[in-house]
Amino acid sequence: MAEEQKKQERKKRRTATEAASSIGPMVKEFITGTIRAKAEGKKLAYTFIVCCYDEILGAMDVVPVWTENFAGVCGAKRDAERFLERAESQSFSRSLCTYALCGLGFDQWREELGEMPPDAPWGGQARPDFMLSSGQILCDPRNKWYQAAQQYMPDVPIYDVGLPYPLYEDDIEVADVQDYYIKYIVAELRGLVKFLEEQTGKKMDYDRLGELVDLGERTWNLIWETYDLRRAVPTPMGTGDAMNTMVPMVFMMGTQEAYDFFVKLNKELKDKIAKKEGVVEDEKYRLLWGGGLPSWFALTDFNYFNSKGAVFPVETTYRMIEPIYRLNMPDTNDPIERLAWRWLGYWTYWYDKAKKRPGSEPDVERLIQYIEDYQIDGVVMHEAFSCRTWHLGLIWQLNQLRKIYKPIPVLILGKDGKKREEKRELPSLILESDIIDISTYSEVDTRNRIDAFIETLEQVRKNKADLR
Amino acid sequence: MSDYFAGIDIGSTMTKVVIMNDGIISSIIGPTGPEQRRLANKVMENALNQAGLPFEAITYLVATGYGRINVPFADKQVTEISCHAKGVAHFFPECKTIIDIGGQDSKGITIDHGRPTDFVMNDKCAAGTGRFLEVIAEALGITIQDLGGMALKSNQPAQISNICTVFAEQEVVARLAEGVPLNDLVAGILESLASRISRMVNRLKVANEVVITGGGAKNAGLVKALSDKLGYATLVPPEPLITGAVGAALLGKDIVQKAKKNSLPLERKKRSLEEIEIL
Amino acid sequence: MNEQNSTVMSKVERYYEDYGIRARELKKEGKTVIAYLCSLVPTEIITAAGLVPFRIRGNVNEPITKGDTNLETIACPFIRSCFDLSVKGWYDFCDSIVIPHGCDSMTRTYSTWRYTLGLPYSHFINVPHTVSGPSMEFFTQELNTFTKSLGRFAHKEIADSDLTEAIHLYNENRDKAKALYDLRKSDPPLISGTEMSKILTVGMSLPVTEANELFAEVLEELTQRKEAPIHKAPRIMVDGACIDNINFVKLIEDSGANVVVDSLCIGTRDYLPHTDVGGDPLDALARRYLDKINCPRTYREKVEGTYEKDLAARFGDIGSLGKEFKVDGVILYVYKYCDPFGFEVPARKAYLDSLNMPVLYLEDEYSAGTIGRLRTRIQAFLEVIE
Repeated sequence: MAEEQKKQERKKRRTATEAASSIGPMVKEFITGTIRAKAEGKKLAYTFIVCCYDEILGAMDVVPVWTENFAGVCGAKRDAERFLERAESQSFSRSLCTYALCGLGFDQWREELGEMPPDAPWGGQARPDFMLSSGQILCDPRNKWYQAAQQYMPDVPIYDVGLPYPLYEDDIEVADVQDYYIKYIVAELRGLVKFLEEQTGKKMDYDRLGELVDLGERTWNLIWETYDLRRAVPTPMGTGDAMNTMVPMVFMMGTQEAYDFFVKLNKELKDKIAKKEGVVEDEKYRLLWGGGLPSWFALTDFNYFNSKGAVFPVETTYRMIEPIYRLNMPDTNDPIERLAWRWLGYWTYWYDKAKKRPGSEPDVERLIQYIEDYQIDGVVMHEAFSCRTWHLGLIWQLNQLRKIYKPIPVLILGKDGKKREEKRELPSLILESDIIDISTYSEVDTRNRIDAFIETLEQVRKNKADLR
Repeated sequence: MSDYFAGIDIGSTMTKVVIMNDGIISSIIGPTGPEQRRLANKVMENALNQAGLPFEAITYLVATGYGRINVPFADKQVTEISCHAKGVAHFFPECKTIIDIGGQDSKGITIDHGRPTDFVMNDKCAAGTGRFLEVIAEALGITIQDLGGMALKSNQPAQISNICTVFAEQEVVARLAEGVPLNDLVAGILESLASRISRMVNRLKVANEVVITGGGAKNAGLVKALSDKLGYATLVPPEPLITGAVGAALLGKDIVQKAKKNSLPLERKKRSLEEIEIL
Repeated sequence: MNEQNSTVMSKVERYYEDYGIRARELKKEGKTVIAYLCSLVPTEIITAAGLVPFRIRGNVNEPITKGDTNLETIACPFIRSCFDLSVKGWYDFCDSIVIPHGCDSMTRTYSTWRYTLGLPYSHFINVPHTVSGPSMEFFTQELNTFTKSLGRFAHKEIADSDLTEAIHLYNENRDKAKALYDLRKSDPPLISGTEMSKILTVGMSLPVTEANELFAEVLEELTQRKEAPIHKAPRIMVDGACIDNINFVKLIEDSGANVVVDSLCIGTRDYLPHTDVGGDPLDALARRYLDKINCPRTYREKVEGTYEKDLAARFGDIGSLGKEFKVDGVILYVYKYCDPFGFEVPARKAYLDSLNMPVLYLEDEYSAGTIGRLRTRIQAFLEVIE
């Protein structure tokens, strides 16, 4: 079994940037590092990415075990099926979040054996000392996964961190509600600190936390500036690479290593721009990855796009940062409060923009901004069947976009004050598969769809040229 | 006059009839018939002819299977879950787990002394059933009967990643074009099916002895793959298609004997041997 | 007396078949109808604002034909059906949509609902995931935001006295629902599961005063029933999320069992818990909707001790109902793509196992066609527990 799976593992995917190619070993180190840390007696926490409290874990020397990451690795190594099957045998429906199913299948197996399952990817996922559920407004599985895992690890305690943010409403401003949101989030984060203090027997060093939050904020700004470089034509880095560079962003926030990584990436991108070195030699189509988590087992699809002259200078997925200086953060030295404001600021970042265009909505505004800033020719999304969190609302967002990017010529007022006719048609493609469940993926079918989409892009390009 | 008990198991593709007194005195397997009009009565007639009995000689008749509802010539309807449990225990008294692989559904049943204690069933998706094999056999241009033998000749089963029948069919055709040997492909397909069935069955507390029934039990390659996946030796009855009908007949016998023992009237329906209409 | 010549049951039947008929009439009379999804919307606040709350229902007999143009098929099939009917104009008498943070399928489609339906008013209620001091305070504030927002829409300042009055009316409604449930304790029950499902579903479509009148009429008739309309049969509890149709319960009863109690949204989960009276009304509402409604979407802190104790704390209400109504078996009925319930299936099964209560787990897709295909499993389950 294991032998067959190894054969299925693919050759290393070609990345455009050197920085991205250094990520593989980094992820491997996370996973083997947690096993080592466990042996050294450090405290391990199961936790979720985009959790708001990365720096708190860091300041308490708690080693995060990113369970979504491990499931993703199983998927990328095309070795998730046996864990999914285990979960299914436990009466979990195969229609549920496959990250969670993979993790639950793995945990059940590990607990049954009392050791890692045979040939566990990269040595396997270490047993945690405690688990941090995330009661966010997004993602039900984050609230249910660890509770379900407790069936196999009844001795491992859970702390569920409530982290809501307000949804966009026409008649309510963020300012109207932010006080009680912040109050609640702060209370939850302080509760987390208390829980961690109990679990580790250590006191929180708030000065250290303050330094890490500082570092985190500087990293946010740096990432934003770095990613913004991708506006260049030809773009020096695509979404395929961003699915690697998300690792220091979402797994290592508030560490010097993450900051240094983006310094390096920033420099590499500037060098490439200076040399006019793009992801592809002849950049024909600039695409926006407009939603959906990628199929981790099929990242080579990005290379397939590249082979047709299509690049992705920007994506909404795993761009979990905005420039801190634009978040309207109040002046406070309390690192917990800063984390709370950063959280709220991030999720409501596009609300003001939406208010200015009646009938619009923040997610749509974000797409529009990216389309304009990055000179986008088409939008690609992925609908992963097992994840409602990131994959509901995408069709509707595309429908909204079509109201602006119409397939007919429209009159645009140019900067010179003169009206000119322009075709703003923006083709879109929705791929359908899953994050790690390869049984729903058909390479033939996917590539046929990509081919047809490229043909559409070409047709639109010709039409636009004719108009000019 | 001795009592005769009949069981009729109307499956999606095959109708099975068994007539028993102390042992099996006749058993017939025939096609269920064209869509909507199930010719189960013909199979019943054949079984009666084989036994040399008139229909009136049957003391009690139990219908089971997908088409059990509205059988005009049955005294009682019982699901195939209970009937398989009873029937398999007749052949294998020590059986604890049954896996039945039919044309349109597959199921797992745990039993205790011939009574079901728990069960799981898949009938929503072709991928875990005999239908999956039909589709694939057709795509490969071979007969379904050949699949089992071909798979046993393979040393290196191909990895089939797609679960969906339609995708799997595409995948198989593509792999064939890549030059993957046919035996390996067939073995891969059977492994894929076995894996699907085993993870459904694993929702139960599987225990020895494990008995496989239904059309799938006739496929030696599938039986082997399933044994491997489950990690249990498996047994197959001499005629794996009739265990449901045998169980139905035996359940009828129990009902009659219980009524006699307690001197209660036997609840019987007015029955006539005619065609069944199933929508 | 039987169902056919009972005037009140034929009224229930009419309201069930033409769901929303009263709300439509009230709309014609000039009332404002506030549509909502899920048991987590405090209808007391809507009533206190002088508006008519109306719970959106799906329809298992109606294929999804239009909703998919705007809503992904990976959403909860029940929500998809609700959305499809709304898009098709079945509920065009509604002036608004209120959606709570029940699950991802509701939350992540809020924008899709509000823009697609283009209603004059919409609101999202952010329900926290934990039950604690801070979360309760947060939720009270969130309900205050809703109260104010709804008040602006209704041009009415909603006073505490309005809320208190509404709370009384709804508590009365829950008393009556409880009395109806009590009729199911006898063997055979005085009311079938199918009838009960109709009554409870209809209750969600009426202003609370009308629901109270209707329930009172039903109670009066049923308590005069000399003999049960149904035979003695295995007593079944249905556990799961939202069942807003009779098809599933009817299938169980047609298979030779009586559904005597449930743990469902349109059932005991929502109809039994009272709102506390005497204190601040919003505080009390927050407590009811966050703490007293026992839905898997809300995390309940693990009770110290064994995993078994934790299960008892999480699912104890199901076990108590099972004992109180003397059930012989439980059918756990969960929709495909339902993460909140789906991740609890093994735990719920383990809990029921620990009570030696036989359980059948069924996954389904919210359509009459797929419900019909569950017949064999239900019959086999009844044979197993016999």
